[in-house]
Amino acid sequence: MLPDKTVVNSALGAIAGGAEVTETTLGVVARVAASEAPAALAILKAEPLDFVMLVDMLGTDTGEDIEVTYHLRSFSRDEDLYVKCVLPYDGVLNSVWTVYPSALLPERETAELLGLTLARHPNPKRLLTTEGTPPLLRRSQVIRTIEEVRDR
Amino acid sequence: MSDPRDTIRAETLQGSAPACDLDLVPAGIKRVPSGVDGLATERLVVNIGPQHPSTHGVLRLIAELDGEEIVNVETSVGYLHRGIEKLAEHRRYHQLGTLMDRGDYVSGIHGELAAALAVEELLEIEVPPKAHWLRSLMGEINRLSSHLVWYGTFGLDCGAMGQFLYALREREALLDILEAVTGQRMMFNYVRPGGVLADLPPEAEQKIRAFLRTIDGYLDEHHALLGGNEIFQKRVRGIGVIDRATALSFGLTGANLRCAGVPYDVRRDAPYAAYGDLEFDVPLGETGDAWDRYLVRMGEMRQAVHMMRQCIDGLPEGDVMGKVPRVLRPPTGEVYARVESPRGELGVHLVSDGTDTPYRFHYRAPSLFAMQVLEEILPGHLLADAIVIIGSTDVVLGEIDR
Amino acid sequence: MNAVLSAILPVLAAAGLMLMNGVVLIYMLRKVLGHLHLRLGPVHLGPKGILQTTADVLKLLSKEDIMPTGVDRWMYVLAPAVVFVPSLTAYAALPFSETLRIVRLETGLLFTFAVLSIVPLGVIMAGWASANKYSLIGALRAAAQQIAYEVPLLLSVLPVVMIVGSLDLGEIVAFQSGVWMGILPRWLVLLLFPSFVIFLVAALCELNQTPFDMSEAESELVAGFATEYSSMKFGLIFLSEFSNSFVISALAVTMFFGGWTLPFLPESVVAPLAPVIFVLKTYIGIFVLMWIRGTLPRVRIDQLMNLGWKWLIPASLVWIVLVGVVMKLAAVGGVS
Repeated sequence: MLPDKTVVNSALGAIAGGAEVTETTLGVVARVAASEAPAALAILKAEPLDFVMLVDMLGTDTGEDIEVTYHLRSFSRDEDLYVKCVLPYDGVLNSVWTVYPSALLPERETAELLGLTLARHPNPKRLLTTEGTPPLLRRSQVIRTIEEVRDR
Repeated sequence: MSDPRDTIRAETLQGSAPACDLDLVPAGIKRVPSGVDGLATERLVVNIGPQHPSTHGVLRLIAELDGEEIVNVETSVGYLHRGIEKLAEHRRYHQLGTLMDRGDYVSGIHGELAAALAVEELLEIEVPPKAHWLRSLMGEINRLSSHLVWYGTFGLDCGAMGQFLYALREREALLDILEAVTGQRMMFNYVRPGGVLADLPPEAEQKIRAFLRTIDGYLDEHHALLGGNEIFQKRVRGIGVIDRATALSFGLTGANLRCAGVPYDVRRDAPYAAYGDLEFDVPLGETGDAWDRYLVRMGEMRQAVHMMRQCIDGLPEGDVMGKVPRVLRPPTGEVYARVESPRGELGVHLVSDGTDTPYRFHYRAPSLFAMQVLEEILPGHLLADAIVIIGSTDVVLGEIDR
Repeated sequence: MNAVLSAILPVLAAAGLMLMNGVVLIYMLRKVLGHLHLRLGPVHLGPKGILQTTADVLKLLSKEDIMPTGVDRWMYVLAPAVVFVPSLTAYAALPFSETLRIVRLETGLLFTFAVLSIVPLGVIMAGWASANKYSLIGALRAAAQQIAYEVPLLLSVLPVVMIVGSLDLGEIVAFQSGVWMGILPRWLVLLLFPSFVIFLVAALCELNQTPFDMSEAESELVAGFATEYSSMKFGLIFLSEFSNSFVISALAVTMFFGGWTLPFLPESVVAPLAPVIFVLKTYIGIFVLMWIRGTLPRVRIDQLMNLGWKWLIPASLVWIVLVGVVMKLAAVGGVS
């Protein structure tokens, strides 16, 4: 189910810069400033919006910057909401673990695989790869050139 | 004990960013999960895993022990990292199933199904009804075989050897069925975007019916053998309690969430495949301890059998594959598809840029979240309980590391 | 010369018996567990796989003896011997028949238990010397377990001694020959069933057997105190475990199941077969131990301690008092 855009928008009006709430193929997406992401999530988690669970978190290299997506869910209303924020390549990912403890490992993974710096995280170590491994999920990291894929 | 790699790892991600304020503990969380200091001398720091008989693969726990009691624990993963998400960016959409099989290798069908659902949603492919039913049937067969492995190894974690091979006896029959249908025993690659690979061969149907005739008695036997054992009950009752708030804030799904009393099951709340037409119960726990998780999973096995019966009886006629172009080029867009795997909500977050390969492919692994909660619930338990609790959360490391 | 020979021969015989026992018991364990677990156990080497254990012994003997860095060398080397020698010595007093035993000891029962309680010392040494955390935890568990269960084990056999009036294992058996009221064998298990239950539980613990295999709990401590041992050092520890289960089972047979005797059969039939009967009864006991091992889960260390201190010791004390009172009353009443 899709949450009400206007409700989300007005609730997120409290944060600096507000939020841009749109409906895409994914569902309802709220775009906020990266520095305000923890505050935005805190508002969304609390009553009355009640998005109690952080289902998932991922980062995407859009080619210009890193887009971080938080996937929230409310069980009381059976609604999913996506919160997106954009970070530069050398950006600092602010931990939201005080709001959603489930972000602890996905944040480490995202920061590691997309080459971000992890801030305010209690245990900001690498998670999956060993030291010296470049951030794997950047588009610039090519494991097989596109020509090789095409000529298969 | 202190792994020099850990300090280097710490440096890599932190940079000059502000560190966590360690006084800042959110409500409902007992302590800041800031990792174990490997140089602590007052307490015994034990490395459990990655090579250990009962860490279910290559999970590494760094546990700080006070006597036998765990004071602090840190989970460390990555020993099985294959970069599935990156590999997927260089594969065509048809090939995603192959990768998903190798994620959660104990229940491959569910991974394939999630990937196929995501692709179908992007492309708006029509899936024939028979394919839907076959997906449900194979999914439940796979769920049962996965839970049987869990049941066997959970007993092993408690020190009982008796039930393990009895569980594998049933699993063997299930794998035979899966082999007859898909041609493979673990890496099925059966669910494809648009339908499924093949129809049910006649001998497979016979095998399923033969299996369904005996399984109920066997499940009773399993429950009596392990669950009816007083020592086992004493071991698992009251340990590893995950209450509702903890389960939600750590993002648990599946049996781990339902044992805390949250009635969320993707099959019922967001039906996919044929689950909308099937009738089944969602077993719930009350206290959220390891015993509840045992009961919920045992209940799920019975529900899986119940659904297998409905699927095999209600299988519609028709094609098993919809009209799908040879090369899939979905329009630009972003979707999230979820299925209920034996371990919880398995999600696939797919971003397409209009080419024949995914732009970003993300795999929401339920085990990753189930494993996170260990750092929260293990402290305060004895070492022996820790092993049982890890077993009760049913994590698969292939899925965590991806 | 003759005296020296006759002193050495029984020792050699005991060593031979113990080694043979080990080989047979390992094969038996594999087969029994195999069939309990829907498997076949070893099948390939020799008919029904009987040569598997031989091959394993050869493997253990020919393996490289790895000494990890950081171990306490003396203790590390000594520990397997400290585990092994008492197990071997414990055979000394076992009465295989009226005449067939290595030494006739007035205090055979006491001797056997005293010797067996040295084994955990070796376990603790092994755990400490290995410089491995799992080993250390295993060793500490062994120590705690030893203290908690040695007491009920000894208390559980006291009623036997009270009734028989002797610590000599031979006399305990002799007491049990014949039948009561023409139908019941004069086995003490019928008279002292609670003692037998306490003995069984405490013995399982003493043997490090499931459900009390704390010190080597495989799913928790990898192999516990034996984690760092390899080659024949491990072989010795392994062998001592099997031989201990033989000794304990033999003690149970001696004290509660009439030893080498069989009821209802004339003495002339039983006497020549006495050692065979004794070993058969012992093997049945071992089979029961293996059955338990193949089925039950492991208890937790605190539950183990609770059971030992809060249940077994008080229960055995109460039982001893009860037996004493009944015996006194019977003596006063003139019934023997």
